[in-house]
Amino acid sequence: MSTWRERWKRRLRPPRTLKTTRVGRTYLVLTVGIGLGALNTGNNLLYLVLGFLLSIIVLSGVLSERVISNLRVRRLLPEGAFATEPFALRYEVTRTKGRAFAIRLSEADETLSGWAWIPTVLAGKPVVARADVTAPKRGPLALKELRISTFFPFGLFEKTRTVTLEDQLVVWPRRGFTCDPPRADHGLQTGEHGNQRHRDGAGDVQGLRELGDLEDARRVHWKKSAAVGRLLKVEREREDRQQYTLRITDDAPGEQLERACEETAALTRRLLDEGNDVGLEAGGRKLRPASGPGHEKRILSALAMLGFGANS
Amino acid sequence: MMLGERRKLRLRLRDFAALSAFAAVALSGALPIFVAGLFGLAWVVSMSGKRPFAGQTVWSVIVLLAAAIVLFGLAFRGALDLVIAAVAFATLVTAHRMLSDPTPGTDQQVLLASLLLMAGAAALSGDIWYALCLLSFGVFACLTLGLAVVEGPVERDEELPLSPVLRQVSIGVAIALAGGVAFFILFPRLSWNVAARRQGPGLLGGTTGMTDRVRLGGGGDIKTSARIVLRARLEPMPSATRLERYWVGRHFDVFDGKEWSGKGTPKAPTSRVMLGDVGKAIVQRIELLPAYDSRTLVGLSQPVYFGPANALSSGVPQPALLIESEGEEVRFATEANAYTYTVQSRENFGGEEESPERLALLSTAPVVDPRVTALATQIVGDETNHQRVAARLERWLRSNIAYSLELAEAEDPLADFLFVRKAGHCEHFATALAVMLRVRGVPARVVGGFFGGERLGERYVVRAGDAHAWVEAWIPGTGWTTFDATPDDGRGSRPQALLAQLIDAFEQLEELWRSKVVDYSIIDQWQFVKQLVRPPAGSKANENEAPAERPTTRTPTRAIFGAIVSAALVWLVWRRFSRVERSHPASGFLTELERRLDTLKLRRRDEDLEALSRRLVSEHHQLAAAVSLATRRYLEARFSDRPLTPKERRSLLDALG
Repeated sequence: MSTWRERWKRRLRPPRTLKTTRVGRTYLVLTVGIGLGALNTGNNLLYLVLGFLLSIIVLSGVLSERVISNLRVRRLLPEGAFATEPFALRYEVTRTKGRAFAIRLSEADETLSGWAWIPTVLAGKPVVARADVTAPKRGPLALKELRISTFFPFGLFEKTRTVTLEDQLVVWPRRGFTCDPPRADHGLQTGEHGNQRHRDGAGDVQGLRELGDLEDARRVHWKKSAAVGRLLKVEREREDRQQYTLRITDDAPGEQLERACEETAALTRRLLDEGNDVGLEAGGRKLRPASGPGHEKRILSALAMLGFGANS
Repeated sequence: MMLGERRKLRLRLRDFAALSAFAAVALSGALPIFVAGLFGLAWVVSMSGKRPFAGQTVWSVIVLLAAAIVLFGLAFRGALDLVIAAVAFATLVTAHRMLSDPTPGTDQQVLLASLLLMAGAAALSGDIWYALCLLSFGVFACLTLGLAVVEGPVERDEELPLSPVLRQVSIGVAIALAGGVAFFILFPRLSWNVAARRQGPGLLGGTTGMTDRVRLGGGGDIKTSARIVLRARLEPMPSATRLERYWVGRHFDVFDGKEWSGKGTPKAPTSRVMLGDVGKAIVQRIELLPAYDSRTLVGLSQPVYFGPANALSSGVPQPALLIESEGEEVRFATEANAYTYTVQSRENFGGEEESPERLALLSTAPVVDPRVTALATQIVGDETNHQRVAARLERWLRSNIAYSLELAEAEDPLADFLFVRKAGHCEHFATALAVMLRVRGVPARVVGGFFGGERLGERYVVRAGDAHAWVEAWIPGTGWTTFDATPDDGRGSRPQALLAQLIDAFEQLEELWRSKVVDYSIIDQWQFVKQLVRPPAGSKANENEAPAERPTTRTPTRAIFGAIVSAALVWLVWRRFSRVERSHPASGFLTELERRLDTLKLRRRDEDLEALSRRLVSEHHQLAAAVSLATRRYLEARFSDRPLTPKERRSLLDALG
């Protein structure tokens, strides 16, 4: 949700911005020079050249306007992105009518560097372009505006239109160095790999729960199931891995919190790579120890939102 | 088109743009030959795909700087015009960049340097070729820039359709050219005129050969040239299609055995020159074209008065002063590209009374082969009357010597003409007659000018091939009288018919170019604007005119009709070219679907179809299934190449009730 200040800023902003390129600046200098030459000498051929050069400038404005209007853009956001690492931010561009050429898409937010290039967009044929973007720091990143620029037709000017397109990207902590792991929560566990619940080992019974979709029916406790009239599954401790619960508070000052988050993220990756279950207690939010890529993303997202309680 | 092909195409277009700009400069004829040669070589190498300066930036720039020092050193010493030096340097820079790394950035540098060449060519040349070069430069340069822009900052080897880009840029170039012409017509010609420079006669240069001397021995190539050098409007205007008259340029008094020269003493420059009593003279308003390339004024035989003259150097007429060299010529005091002036002539004018000293000088025979003297005596016999002596010699030469343009150098050209080859062109005939007249004691001089004149429209034109030489002999009591020993078929021009027609067409085109473009002035702009504005009803100017001649204050019907038709045509052409893609067939279905939904008041403001479908499903609306299906089918038809059949389309819409 944008604030009133942002809304006013948007209203006061010119609908298009124009920037001369390097060759465009030289072109303008030459045009002025030829214009002065024409006035000085009264040479009609110089007036003819001057007329052509000025027409090219006007034409650049008209054709570039045709290019950047009638465009519909959609962001295709990734689940998350690591801070300071380039990630693929995709844009789907659709042209409602006519054609568009030489389009550059970039985020209006200056902190997100990188842009996507689209040579041609034809009407009714959506084009997906990829920008290698780098987010500078962890946290939820509000993407509010998008810059659509073009150098068409002659590369003399870059005309830009800024459109409002609100999305949110979760920027995970930067991947970095990890320290020694903390003590494990419990003893070793054994059991099946690949199951996200991880209570299907061969150790002591931990409890019963309803059998989920696609879960192994061999774990069903038939007697208890018959008693309650539902399929219940036996959960046992796994003995081939350890459980860790990583704890981090959000009351540390800015830079320390960042470091703590980065360290926790790195530790999570290391422990998961070693085949352990990892849980998280961060800023009042708890994630039970588990493993798998989805779980890692959940931890990273929780870390990303740490310290941004109000916004998250 | 893949990257390799795209790059090749772009570089070709770029090289052609550079060639067009170079041609504009080269056709002015002002570029040093070694610069032209270097550019030609660079262009051929570039077109063959080789880039010898790629990766050799330092060395190649040092060479370029050395060339710059040489060129501007020459300009500083006065050996080379500063503008020509600058244009030559821009040519070398263009060639250098063409042979460097073929990146889009280099393309832009080549094109900017070429633009400098175009500007330089505008200062050096006023030829119609310039228009052609500017047009081709504009087209090629814009296409190159368009392709480079679409390529993007990083070249990727992927398939890219170029035809839509080229089409769009081509339309853009056409519009830009039209805009340029509109600017040219309407932008007020307010010139400071502090640095106007003379434009040259173009690549073909001057053709008349109206020099200070006439040297015998050479061939007569000029007789085949069909270039128009002079246009004249005569008052009264004769009705003849061909004007069989002499146009006097300059007189040659002294012959040294090989060449004729004048002995006139120049007087102070003045705006008018009076040579005799005007009386009932023929008035000629003459325009000397750039092809003339001489400062000598020309007029029908015999000129008695040269009036106010203007010199045209850079499209702006400037008053010109005249210098009279007594007994030889009248010439312009200043150098210019073209001239306009008025001259009055009287056919029977024999000139002012000559002094005895001068007549003695003109009757002194030069040292010639004794056979010439013997021949003159043999032809004339003991006749002493100047008129009859001249007539006999003229008749003998006409009937015994053949006319020929093919001559070789000879030690004694006059003896070679009379006794060896027995053939020659007008300069030989005139020389032989003048020398033999002098041998017989008759004062005589050779005259250089033109013979003929061909009516084109309301004016007579004289071609370079009409250049001619004849003799004037002093007849006591009559004055200077014209005698022409050249056979009739050797007097006028001898261009080939087809060539003459082509030249005529070209000259007319060039005339149009010069009058409508090169010499376009604020007066023409004023006339143009006046044509656009209707005269106010009841204005004083109108009241004084007869009712039949009074211009109507109503806009003519055909003008309105013409404007409507023109606007419709422009609109149709614009629609044709701007309608890049027809609307998708599914778009019609979407419009109809949205109209039905609006009728049913199902849609909220700014709610798209997908959002509406989701909401209806969540609300368990009775039309949820129908709307969802229609939405899904629309999206499939629009974006997934699964088109809707008319029947299906109807059933989907009918399901909404």
